[in-house]
Amino acid sequence: MNRKRNTVRNIFLGISSILMILTLYMIFLYVPVEKEMGIVQKIFYLMVPMGWLALLSFLIVFIGSILYLINKDSKWDVLAHSSASIGILFTALALLIGAIWAKPVWGVWWTWEARLTATLVLFMLYVAYFMVRSFTADEARGATFAAVIGIVGFIDIPIIALATTLWRGMHPGGIIFAGGLAPSMLLTLITSLIAFTFFYSLLLMQQISLKNNENRLKKLQQYLN
Amino acid sequence: MMFWGKVLAIVRKDTISELRTKEVVASVLVFTILMIVIFNFACSANYELVKSMAPGILWATFTFAGVLSLNRAFIAEKEQGCLEGLMVCPISRDVIYVGKMVTSLLFMLIIEMVTLPIFTLLFNVNVISLQLIAIVILATVGFVAVGTLFSAIAINTRARELVLPILFLPVVVPVVISAVKASGLAIAGEPWSQLYSWLLILLSFDVIFITLSYLIFNHVIEE
Amino acid sequence: MENMGYLFAAFLIVWIGIIGYLFVIFNRQKKISREIETLEKSLKEKGIKQ
Repeated sequence: MNRKRNTVRNIFLGISSILMILTLYMIFLYVPVEKEMGIVQKIFYLMVPMGWLALLSFLIVFIGSILYLINKDSKWDVLAHSSASIGILFTALALLIGAIWAKPVWGVWWTWEARLTATLVLFMLYVAYFMVRSFTADEARGATFAAVIGIVGFIDIPIIALATTLWRGMHPGGIIFAGGLAPSMLLTLITSLIAFTFFYSLLLMQQISLKNNENRLKKLQQYLN
Repeated sequence: MMFWGKVLAIVRKDTISELRTKEVVASVLVFTILMIVIFNFACSANYELVKSMAPGILWATFTFAGVLSLNRAFIAEKEQGCLEGLMVCPISRDVIYVGKMVTSLLFMLIIEMVTLPIFTLLFNVNVISLQLIAIVILATVGFVAVGTLFSAIAINTRARELVLPILFLPVVVPVVISAVKASGLAIAGEPWSQLYSWLLILLSFDVIFITLSYLIFNHVIEE
Repeated sequence: MENMGYLFAAFLIVWIGIIGYLFVIFNRQKKISREIETLEKSLKEKGIKQ
């Protein structure tokens, strides 16, 4: 069983690495430099995957949470919890990359534009997920409460996105490139997205296996006492 | 109609208890007025600034007041073991949810309706209008829909007064945004048509989250 | 080429983030696997059923 798991992991590691090398090649040697923003525009090929993974992770948290509330089978909670651990990482990275991109383009580290603001709120939702877990004494209850956040939070995301977009109005100097998205840019972006999604799956598998081991350890320690 | 009868019973019980102790409404009202005063100092008596910030100040105040009063929704039950008593009654959990929600809604609306004229007086900004009342009602419903659910969760944690805002505030961001924007338009005297998109967001939020919380509440209250 | 620094920083951060996270997970896995082995051994010795 362990060997099979290791093989799957190695396959994903291999595919991810190859795709990532391909992506890096495309970003630096294939895609042309964008007219208006210059070379900094290439952060775009990092930024979109970060945002995408932040949302994908929450989607998995949502699915795991619903199934956990219905079934009470702890494997769904492990799925949700693991995806949340990874999701909060990518959301934090999205915020950092957003700031690093904002500085050269807009001159400030932070701006309350729609996308960045919504990402910040998403980060707060992840934080809420973990806080409600750690502040609950009983673990099973903590898992249930976290599942509630997973569900309510996910349903809220489109509403948050809508409200922040309307709030900020159509941002003219936003992520709209002079001349739109060339096909080579689109191709690079898609490659980058796929590569990062493979990495996400790898991280998710590892995190789930880690959590399962942690749970098993706890059970063993209980037997010993 | 049996359902609403039971809901009203819970509302009655809580209202009577509140009338006796005056815990929630009076103290939150005092807090609200204090917040308005402090915001005034924060704007250093700059009249123009205060006028442009009015909707923001109003809703920041209502949001924090909301957190305070929602915190109290289940605290009494938990501390005096009434929650077990409620659960033993032949009522379903959803009745408890709706009952608590209506109670919180009632208390918050009272606080807000008293605050509006005071706000008008202190800020010289007219916030008493049909538009604004509509906004307040829609937004408050959104607050209590989500807040009642989270309050029931928060009392089962350590640091309950902290957990509620941490859960509640990110989720109600769209409500606050919409309420502030719409209030700004209303104060400026814009026609209803301008407010439609914001009111629509508020309404959708209310409908979606009342339904969602109603469905989820059962899982939270299990002992 | 002015903003190369930012571009480099962005990629660096993402890489450190992902690889670092993987690294942490791998390390914890190793540690926990070892602890599990030890525990399972001592459980077997004590003859406690799992």
